[in-house]
Amino acid sequence: MTAEFEKQNELELEALFDALRDEPEEPSSDLLARVLADAYEAQDARAAKAMPEPVSSGPQPARRGRIRGLLDMIGGWPAVAGLVTATVAGVWIGYNPPAALDDLTLSVMESSYSYDASLGSMLPVYSELLAEG
Amino acid sequence: MPFDADSELTDEALLALYASGNRAAARTLTMRLTPRVLSVAARMLGDRSEAEDVAQEAMLRLWKIAPEWRTGEAQVSTWLYRVASNLCTDRLRRRRGVGLDDAFGDGVAPADEQPPAEERMQTAVRATALQEALAELPDRQRQAVVLRHLEGLSNPEIAAVMEIGVEAVESLTARGKRALSALLKGRRAELGLSDDG
Repeated sequence: MTAEFEKQNELELEALFDALRDEPEEPSSDLLARVLADAYEAQDARAAKAMPEPVSSGPQPARRGRIRGLLDMIGGWPAVAGLVTATVAGVWIGYNPPAALDDLTLSVMESSYSYDASLGSMLPVYSELLAEG
Repeated sequence: MPFDADSELTDEALLALYASGNRAAARTLTMRLTPRVLSVAARMLGDRSEAEDVAQEAMLRLWKIAPEWRTGEAQVSTWLYRVASNLCTDRLRRRRGVGLDDAFGDGVAPADEQPPAEERMQTAVRATALQEALAELPDRQRQAVVLRHLEGLSNPEIAAVMEIGVEAVESLTARGKRALSALLKGRRAELGLSDDG
């Protein structure tokens, strides 16, 4: 009898639970928007916190090897660029001298700067010097 | 990464994505979990507006704890049910400070005051009656009954939410249901239940 009564109670309650389940509490779009806004805000706050500190303008604790020391000594990369330019220019002028240099050489030496066999004849011959004692 | 609310990713996987800054994961979790939290809060509080506040607060706590979430330690839904239940319990306690009549006087009525269609009349009346009876239960009994019979959680899941043993859950739901039967005894005919008992 009691078991039957309990069973009846159980069935009736189940009918009531069914009724309440059939009336779902759907979230409003406003609530969903508020929840999502909170979600984004929390993400943004964390992202802002996680951003690295801005790089300071002070000297970097970089490795200072011998090359770096040499560079500093001669004035850094701009100075190296100047040295390279001068070297290349020197090599080029030596290889292919401009005409203006020829004129200069002629005015000084009254001859070509290039090797001239006649110029060699002006020098005393070593064997003659020996013969003279 | 495109995925929608029906994504097969677990809550936990989505929470990890959310913590890494993924917006889509935030949307999916919102769509998936907010209805559940709102439902349990509405059943426990019997007040739609308060339930919405609780749902928002519980979700906010989830967003904040996401980066520290320890994988495999707890289910996200279990944690969320616990937070929502505790928030509801706090509100119910505050209500008692105000007085039961003030707290439950009008709040139990459904927000929708429109007369339901004929075929839904009985369902609505039953739902309202049960919600009113639930409001009369002690907090722990109500929480266990709501989670078991309205949210469909298993007893071990409820035990995890309420941080008690499974036997204690069984005891709470059994006592809760007996109390509900007693509260609704005089309304059987009105609710379309057998009136000869």
